[in-house]
Amino acid sequence: MQKKGYVSFVLHAHLPFIHHPESDDYLEESWLYEAISETYIPLLKVFKSLVDEGVNFRITMSMTPPLLSMLDNELLHKKYIHYLEQLIELSEKEIKRTAYDKKLNELAHYYYDRYSSDLHLFRDVFKCNLIEQFKHFQDIGVLEIITCGATHGYFPILYVTEETVRAQIAVGVQTYEKYFGRKPRGIWLPECGYVPEADKYLKEFGIDYAIVESHGILYADPTPIYGTCAPIVSPGGLVCFGRDMKSSQQVWSSIDGYPGDFNYREFYRDIGYEADYDYIKPYIAHNGVRVHTGIKYYRITGKTDQKDYYNVQWAHDSAERQAGHFLDSRTEQIKNVADYMKVPPIILCPYDAELYGHWWYEGPYWLYILFKKIYYDDCNFELITPSEYIDKYPNIQVASPCRSSWGANGYSGVWLNPTNDYAHRHLHKAGDRMVELATSYPNAEGTIKDALNQAARELLLAQSSDWLFIITNGTMVDYAKKRIKEHIGRFTKLYYQIKSNKIDKAFLKNIQLKDCVFPEIDYHIYKKL
Amino acid sequence: MPTKTKEINEKNNKKTNKVATTKTTVKPKTSSKGTAKKKDTAKKAVAKKAEKKVTAKKTTVKKTTTTAKKATVKKASTKKVTARKSTAKKAATTRKATGKTKKQEQFVDIVEYYDLPYRYNETVVKILYQTPNTLFVYWDISDKDRENYIKQYGENFFNITRPVLIIHNITMNYSFEVPIDDFANSWYLHINDSKCDYKVELGRRPNYYNEEATKEIQENINTDYIYVSSSNEIETPNDHVLFSTNENNTIKFRNIKNNDEKTISLVDFVRSLPALKEKRDIPIISEEIFQAVYSGIYKDEDINFFERLSNPSSGGLATSNMSSSRSALF
Repeated sequence: MQKKGYVSFVLHAHLPFIHHPESDDYLEESWLYEAISETYIPLLKVFKSLVDEGVNFRITMSMTPPLLSMLDNELLHKKYIHYLEQLIELSEKEIKRTAYDKKLNELAHYYYDRYSSDLHLFRDVFKCNLIEQFKHFQDIGVLEIITCGATHGYFPILYVTEETVRAQIAVGVQTYEKYFGRKPRGIWLPECGYVPEADKYLKEFGIDYAIVESHGILYADPTPIYGTCAPIVSPGGLVCFGRDMKSSQQVWSSIDGYPGDFNYREFYRDIGYEADYDYIKPYIAHNGVRVHTGIKYYRITGKTDQKDYYNVQWAHDSAERQAGHFLDSRTEQIKNVADYMKVPPIILCPYDAELYGHWWYEGPYWLYILFKKIYYDDCNFELITPSEYIDKYPNIQVASPCRSSWGANGYSGVWLNPTNDYAHRHLHKAGDRMVELATSYPNAEGTIKDALNQAARELLLAQSSDWLFIITNGTMVDYAKKRIKEHIGRFTKLYYQIKSNKIDKAFLKNIQLKDCVFPEIDYHIYKKL
Repeated sequence: MPTKTKEINEKNNKKTNKVATTKTTVKPKTSSKGTAKKKDTAKKAVAKKAEKKVTAKKTTVKKTTTTAKKATVKKASTKKVTARKSTAKKAATTRKATGKTKKQEQFVDIVEYYDLPYRYNETVVKILYQTPNTLFVYWDISDKDRENYIKQYGENFFNITRPVLIIHNITMNYSFEVPIDDFANSWYLHINDSKCDYKVELGRRPNYYNEEATKEIQENINTDYIYVSSSNEIETPNDHVLFSTNENNTIKFRNIKNNDEKTISLVDFVRSLPALKEKRDIPIISEEIFQAVYSGIYKDEDINFFERLSNPSSGGLATSNMSSSRSALF
């Protein structure tokens, strides 16, 4: 079949910076471990299999600076290994416990193998360096990694002090360069939060393109003639790709989205909640509260509480069927759309990376099958990265994208509403103070310089959109509120200590160890524009 | 450590919500003013002392009952996000209580205690957009400015005047006013026109609530309006497909490699598209031209979808941390 267009997958890999050397008791740290085991390692395995099998594919991933910092943190490596050892121990016990039931016992073996393999890969093969693994696939040309705001700060809230947006971009780009040895061409705007004010800073730091929500393109001015099927370029020179609605729906939809297939693994049935309490106690929260362990034996089955055992083969069958459906849908879509265009359409499919594997357990396998099908089957499109697309088709319609985000209802309501709006004046004030400090200490040295750099880290950490999101979402609210308070508190304390030239060195040392993100940060980035 | 007597601690500040009174207001948020002034210094002193002691552990442990927890877990098989979420939340906050000795050898922690300052004691008005039709505004008046008003207009100035917000739509050149109250320090404002530049002004108007006040106003204030401060200027987002073109019904393309720009008539451009080449009745009004193309590109979509575009991952879950993916399908 003649090739008529392109599909571009963009997976946004992000977790907020969570690092607590002071305690083992923060469950929030396990977000990282779950994501490594269920998403990042499975994706790396998919890439490797495809490469080994000679399948030509393209995929784009944003890896955010806080995620990179955590993947590069020795303490977190140790804790992850401990997490795996615990799970391996538990699955060994499970193998014994489930000896009475063949099907269940097979699943216990499956988990034992899976976690053992993770440990072997992570510790012995990858030498704890997952970043290097992703970099490898970028270096051989199948993966394009893009950057993000330094701590996922939401631009439509921060831009009232433009220096803080510029710093988010600058540190995002610097962190990327540190780990990947080149400049990023693209950026995942935190929460796809687009404001035209950021264009000039994105261009300043060499960013060619950004990903925006569908109406970022559709509501642009003037109206883009190709809708979301081609990028637009802002007057300031930033190319913007819009999310395709149809393909998003097929994956995300709560009614008929792929992850709801009855053969897929049921996320909520976990032995952490179901096993005998004394038996499971060593593997749940330290204070005895039941939590997810990662060992789950059931499939979704249907709209029923009577769940059947998970069957890996059946789940794979479903994934294969759905990959075929996705392929046919895109083929049909591109066939139709291409007639209305003078350039080949690009169907951009952005998702949370953690959707694949963590939430949708079979997601990585689905991707693997889909990419093979695209390569081997007779379809009318190829995979492409946004960079390759704009290099091939540099004639782009000029239009100003619409201020937008990918949050509920498409604007700022998720990150600004009565549950979290108390925080914004503090974020703004701290931002203004940081600009004041950077401007009035142009040549700081020694302890003052260290304190200024730490103040910049504290500000950045306070700005994570994650805290505001979590408060809105109603989960882990106390933790999110605590983080905002702590970072604003530490920042404010440093601000006064710097201004009075009385730095408490023990305090500074302590928070440098805790909030050790961006070791190379240079506070000058906040100098008044 | 410098004391921050001016940044008043948030702690004693009780928030109460008031119901919106006018059509233009959405949800006012209120807070008390000027009460908890001394608290901060006291607390800081304590915190400082505590730092010196190098004790290892924070003591704010949240109490949760495992029994309550188990009750929620029972429901785990029914697909109720709410039940499960609360479970996860409790788990996260409770894990602190035990196992505290192990890490201390490696990491000597200091005790930190923070509260957000209640205010920064500066005169400020800031606005953000929440949606194309809602602005969020927060403000404060510094003690110094308050004193100045009192010097100028008398001791009762803040009792015989009331605050107002004046919303200026700069693009369309109109303004409207929303009365607010002194218990609030932020507000949500409904605005009718999207994709416009806005600025919000904080001011005060005489409040003739009784004869005595009226008399005092006549004697001391003698004006209808007192300006306090103005906000930053922002543009609100667009909320629909504009079906607009560049000048003279053209569209513009830029070669991003060399920045060459080319302007093409929309009609000519559309006539050369494969799907429309053969068509005779291509419209000439640009809005209709766009609709002809969009109804082709988005042929399976509901024709009204441009007006109520929402993304499929919406519902508060369209971000990227784990819990969002968790709730994504419910």
